[in-house]
Amino acid sequence: MERAVIINKLSDVFRKVFNNDEIELRDDLTANHIDNWDSLSHMILVTEIERTFCIKFKLKELNKMRNVGEMIEMIGQKV
Amino acid sequence: MVFTSLNFLLFFPLVALLYYISPKKWRWVTLLVASFFFYINIKPVYVLLLIGVTCSTYVFTILISNARDDSRRTLYLVLNIILVLLPLFFFKYFSTINTIMIRLLENWSLHWPLPEIKYMLPLGISFYTFMAIGYSIDVYNEELDAERNLGLVALFISFFPLILSGPIERAKNMLPQFRDYRPINYENVTAGLKLMVWGYFMKLVVADRIGIYVDLVYGDISTQNGSSLIIAAVLYPFQVYADLGGYSLIAIGTARVMGLDVIQNFKRPFFSTSMAEFWRRWHISLISWLTDYVYTPLSFRFRKYKIWGIVIALMLTFLVSGIWHGAALTFVIWGLMQGTFLSLEAVTNKKRTSFEQKYNLSANKIYHLAWMIITFVLFASSQIFGRAATIDDALLVYRRILTETGSPYLDLTTLLYSFIGILIILLKDFKDEYFQGKMSFFSNSRAWIRYSAYLTIIFIILLFGVFKGNSFIYFQF
Repeated sequence: MERAVIINKLSDVFRKVFNNDEIELRDDLTANHIDNWDSLSHMILVTEIERTFCIKFKLKELNKMRNVGEMIEMIGQKV
Repeated sequence: MVFTSLNFLLFFPLVALLYYISPKKWRWVTLLVASFFFYINIKPVYVLLLIGVTCSTYVFTILISNARDDSRRTLYLVLNIILVLLPLFFFKYFSTINTIMIRLLENWSLHWPLPEIKYMLPLGISFYTFMAIGYSIDVYNEELDAERNLGLVALFISFFPLILSGPIERAKNMLPQFRDYRPINYENVTAGLKLMVWGYFMKLVVADRIGIYVDLVYGDISTQNGSSLIIAAVLYPFQVYADLGGYSLIAIGTARVMGLDVIQNFKRPFFSTSMAEFWRRWHISLISWLTDYVYTPLSFRFRKYKIWGIVIALMLTFLVSGIWHGAALTFVIWGLMQGTFLSLEAVTNKKRTSFEQKYNLSANKIYHLAWMIITFVLFASSQIFGRAATIDDALLVYRRILTETGSPYLDLTTLLYSFIGILIILLKDFKDEYFQGKMSFFSNSRAWIRYSAYLTIIFIILLFGVFKGNSFIYFQF
C-alpha cells in the first residue's frame, strides 16, 4: 500500500477516534500535539488502526513507536 | 537518616563536596558508598535485602540480554520479578494474609500452623523494588542494554535521594547520567538548592502543620462530628501533596545539586479538570510506571473488548496501585474508586468532548473551574479511604459528613497556619500554571529580590516549621 494511501486512511482513523475533523497528520506528530491522545485513548486508536488495515501489532512494536511517522512506517511493513 | 534530620543537613553537603572532588571516573563510587551509608544508617540489616534485589536484577538482566530465544528471556524476566517481589511480599503482605487466614480458619475451628508475625517494613522497599522490576522489563523489551557494571546497577537501585520515597526513576534516565562526567555547574547547584528549600517549606511548614489537625481528627473519629471530618477530608489531599510533593522536591533538588536530572513527581495537580488529567499530574513517577508496566500490557491484551477492555485494564491497574500502597482493604477500595472514576470518564469522554464543542466551553474559565472543583471533591472523597484506619472508620466518616453537622473542632492556630500555607502553595502553582516564567521570586533577575525571597522562605521555615516527629507519609508504603 502506498504511503499516501496509508496516511489518508490513518487520518480518517485519527479524526474518528479523537472526534476532531481538523487533524492533519505529520511524521513528527506525537500525543503531545493532539487533545485527548492519552494512554486511555491510545489503545482505542491502536484497535481502530488494526481493524482498518487488517493488521495486528505486537506490544513491543507499540512501545517503540515514538511518533506518527514511525506508526505509518510500521503499518506500511505490515499491510 | 531522613531529609528533615540534622544528620542529613551535614551528610548531604559533605557528599556533594566529595562527589565533585572525586576523580571523574570514580564519582559513581562516591555516590554508591554514600547511598549505602545513607541506607545502613536507617537499619543495617535491611541492606541485605537491597543487595539481594540488586544482585538478582543484575544477574537476570544480563541473562535476558544474552538469551537467544524469547521463551528463555521471558523465563528469566519472570524469575527476576518473582525473586525481587518476594521480600516485598513477605514484609508488606505476609502478615496481613496470615492474619486473614488465621481468622478465616478459626471460624471453621481449624488452627493455622504459622504464628502471627509482624515485621517493620524496610523503608523504601516498595520504591526500589519497582525500580528494579522496571529496569528488568526495559531490558526484556530491548529498550536498553543490560548494564555490565554491578556497581552502577547497585547505585541505580540504592541512589540515596530516591530510595526512601522515590520518585520512582527509570534506568534509561539514570544509568547514562551516572556514567557521564558532570562538571560542577553553578546553575545546577542553585536550582537544586531552590527546589530543596521549597520542598522543606512544603513539608515542614505546610504538610506537618496540616498533619496536626488531620491526625487529631482521624485519630478518634468516633468523637468527631461531620464538620470536623469534612475539614480534615478537605485538608488531607493538601497534606499528602505537601508531604510527598515536598519530599520529591528535596530528592530532585539533592540530585540536581550533583548535576543529575530526576523525573518530576507532581505537576500542579489541583488545577486538573478531570481525573485522567489529575493522574497525569499526581505522583507522576508511580503512575507512569504503572501505565508502562501494568496498564499498557493489560489494555493491549484486552483491546478486542474496545472501551470495556480499557475499563478492565484501568480497574486492575488501580487495584495494583491500591495494593502497592498497603496491605489493607481500605487501599483496595481506594484503588477501585480511582479505577471507577477513570473508567466513567473513559466511557463518557466522547460525549463530554461533543458537549464542550457544541457549547464552546473549551475556553470558558467558569466551566474549567467547576471541573477543577469536581475533580478535587472526587479525589478528596476517595482519600478518606486512603487515610482512615479501617473500612468501618471510612464509612463512619462519610456518614457523619452527610448527616451530622455542628460546630467543628477548631484549633485556630493550626488551621490558620495550614490555610495560609495551602494558599501560598496554590498561588505559586497558579503562577506556574498560567504565568510560567513571570513574577518569579527565586529566579528574579534582580539579586536583591532573589536573596530577599531566599531569606524570607528560610525564616518562614525556621519560625513556622513543625520540627517534631517529621516522618513522611509515604515511608509507610
